[in-house]
Amino acid sequence: MAEQKEHQNGIPRIGFYICHCGSNIASIIDVEDVRKYVATLPGVVVSRDYKYMCSDPGQELIAQDIREHKLERLVVSACSPNLHEETFRNAAAKGGLNSFYFQMVNIREHASWVHEDKAAATRKAKDLARAAVYRVRFHQALEKRKVPVDPNVLVVGGGIAGIHAALTLANAGKKVTLVEREATIGGHMALFDKTFPTMDCAACILTPKMSAVKSHPNITLWTYSEVEKVEGYVGNYKVSVKRKPRYVNEDLCVGCMACIDACVFKEPKFPDKFNQGLGKRKPVYIDFPQATPKVVLIDPATCIQMKTGKCKKSCADACDRKAFDFNQQPELKEIQVGTIVLATGFKTYDAKRDALYGYGRYPGVFTALEIERLVNASGPTLGDVVLRDGRHPKAVGIIHCVGSRDEKTNKWCSRVCCMYSLKLAHLIKEHSGAEVYNFYIDMRTPGKGYEEFYDKLLAEGVHFIRGRVAEVTDWAMTPEEQGKLVLRVEDTLAGFVRRIPVDMVVLATGMEAQADAGEVRHKFNIGCGSEGFFQERHPKLAPVNTFTDGIFIAGACQGPRDIPDTVAQAGAAAAEALVLIDAGHVELEPNTAHVVEEECCGCKSCVPLCPYSAITLDEAKKKAVINEVLCKGCGTCVAACPSGSIRQNLFEDDEIFSEIEGVLAQ
Amino acid sequence: MPLEQKLKYEAERDVKFANWVTRETGGENLRHCIQCGVCSATCPLSLYMDYTPRRLINLAREGFKKEVLSSLTIWLCASCYACRVECPKKIQVTDIMYLLKRRAIQEGVYPRHFPIPVLAKEFGRMIFLFGRVNETLLVIDLFLRTNWFRFLGMTRLGMNLMRTGRMSFIPEQIKRKRELRKILAALDAEEQKESAL
Repeated sequence: MAEQKEHQNGIPRIGFYICHCGSNIASIIDVEDVRKYVATLPGVVVSRDYKYMCSDPGQELIAQDIREHKLERLVVSACSPNLHEETFRNAAAKGGLNSFYFQMVNIREHASWVHEDKAAATRKAKDLARAAVYRVRFHQALEKRKVPVDPNVLVVGGGIAGIHAALTLANAGKKVTLVEREATIGGHMALFDKTFPTMDCAACILTPKMSAVKSHPNITLWTYSEVEKVEGYVGNYKVSVKRKPRYVNEDLCVGCMACIDACVFKEPKFPDKFNQGLGKRKPVYIDFPQATPKVVLIDPATCIQMKTGKCKKSCADACDRKAFDFNQQPELKEIQVGTIVLATGFKTYDAKRDALYGYGRYPGVFTALEIERLVNASGPTLGDVVLRDGRHPKAVGIIHCVGSRDEKTNKWCSRVCCMYSLKLAHLIKEHSGAEVYNFYIDMRTPGKGYEEFYDKLLAEGVHFIRGRVAEVTDWAMTPEEQGKLVLRVEDTLAGFVRRIPVDMVVLATGMEAQADAGEVRHKFNIGCGSEGFFQERHPKLAPVNTFTDGIFIAGACQGPRDIPDTVAQAGAAAAEALVLIDAGHVELEPNTAHVVEEECCGCKSCVPLCPYSAITLDEAKKKAVINEVLCKGCGTCVAACPSGSIRQNLFEDDEIFSEIEGVLAQ
Repeated sequence: MPLEQKLKYEAERDVKFANWVTRETGGENLRHCIQCGVCSATCPLSLYMDYTPRRLINLAREGFKKEVLSSLTIWLCASCYACRVECPKKIQVTDIMYLLKRRAIQEGVYPRHFPIPVLAKEFGRMIFLFGRVNETLLVIDLFLRTNWFRFLGMTRLGMNLMRTGRMSFIPEQIKRKRELRKILAALDAEEQKESAL
């Protein structure tokens, strides 16, 4: 249906289109009423409604009308511009109209979906349409800006996600800088003994990828380094990276570890962070034998030379390559990249927060990550499952959902704990022959071969008790419970409360966002959800994109996930970066600000306000100049300019005032 | 009503019993149970049971012998095999019920005045004695052991059945009873040996 008429004295010829969106809009808003109403507005020569404006025939309709009715402006009332603004801009271009002679009105998210009163919603749709019709008259022809994309990529985080993304990009011939905070890459995966459900050894599948990173000609590996500052925009980021001092020259050290033997501390004395504090290390150390790069470093908090300057420095003497440099300073490096992949990973839940489980109070209580080290053949006990006092446990209880599915701590399911608890149950049984109990709320094993793994564990005779453990206590009520840790739990399947004495309790701690995720988020100007994990652009259709173009996320920094999912996501993030790089350029919205030189008084109020440092003062002319490439169109300077001499494309005064006039008119 | 402690200590678990059930023919798949409860849901008699089949299986594999053997569940099972058909893990629920019934009789923990275990036991005894079952003697025996009051009400029906030749006091017998008894004794001994493990 359509209204058409001939026009008009000086006002551009406007075409108006309203979409039913099936029943999404039409069930609440009387679209025909809106169509008829808009046809009466000044300048409108065509007014139509259509079932799906975004469909091919819908777009064709617009293009044809532009040609036939010589339309000069276009207004579409439909869904959010986030979804279809580009569609209708293209339709305008197809009809031979400049894409920016178009205004979109959102009457779905802003009206039909949020209102129940049909009459009021229809009234609102008319008001919004009128505002757009008033505004669009003043639209100007604009062109999108094209900027080149720097082909170099920055990958932040050297866990399995960062490693996989870096290798994928490097194999595609792109230069990659991989920045890792710790002294070695490998991340959490390097801590694991086996990986579920196939039980292949984590180190055996990870370390080849680690050394591939180290030796790849296209990868620059910076460990023990952190990103300090990020500037620029998609395709053109300038990144400052701080390289923390290891007090050992990375280029000279070959990892012979003679210095570690020579250290004045004859025995390792300090808690080993890599082994979750279960082992000891010296002030000069290397995390594990396959650490990449294989370079030692000094812990300044425990090294006598670093603390007092009065050590024999036997380590430095033992080094025949003279790699030691006790005066090494942090180094700030700057790199240019076009795209960034963030793979900053997760941290595990602090088990001390669940006081009733007694972590930190009873020596028999361990976190799952500690058990990973205990069952690991290269761990502090060489794979022997022992308690902190050296005894071997005869019974072990694994408590699931510690710091997961709990409104008091973390609401979400951490997705991996069921599976790794099954894995640990199997490994503990295999290594120690102990009786193993799993305490679970729901058993969640979605994944290829995961349910089969659960079935295998059931057959192995591991006990599965459905119930959340209330308390771990050493208060014995029977002789058998003497000297044991007793777990009190309702066996909800058997239908009674049980007390189960064990020697070792394993807390299957969940996954959380990194402690400094908020800081990182600000640095890279991306969003996060309420739980602190980085926000993807769309949970289903853009899972590795962020709201900042050119910055992608991969792995557990986006949410809890296991290794297969992490690797898949890292590959996807690399592919998305490649899309930008291989396109060679990006198109930017022409919504930039510009200075009307004659009116600028050179007061410099705008210069410090610009968050993108796009404004400078032309000293010769004493006028502000805006770098169009750097401007993101935020509008801060436009509002702040005391003389009103800064204007912004798509947000000109005429456009905004007439839009306001339109929405308020009767 | 006297209060009873419901909490279970680990010492109450009989691991030997749990192992025995999983070793017996029919019990092999017991550990694979994922406690989905479809057995209880399909069971036409679970509405009368003290423990549903799902719960009984859980108790059995955890080794709560006393609860399992003294439950009514095993005696209410009508061997319809609906659970066996539906079970996603192919657990032989009905066979497990038989296992548990035999064990309960052996250990003498079955409910004394509940007719089904008595019937099962007397049935077996009669086979041992005559090699055949005599309905008259079995029914009289059953009623006298469980509810002799009811027996009086049934006399008239019994008389009628006997008059028309449907029932007889004289038990039929097989010829070589001694050999059958040998077989049964051998089976019993085998069972005894197994449950001692």
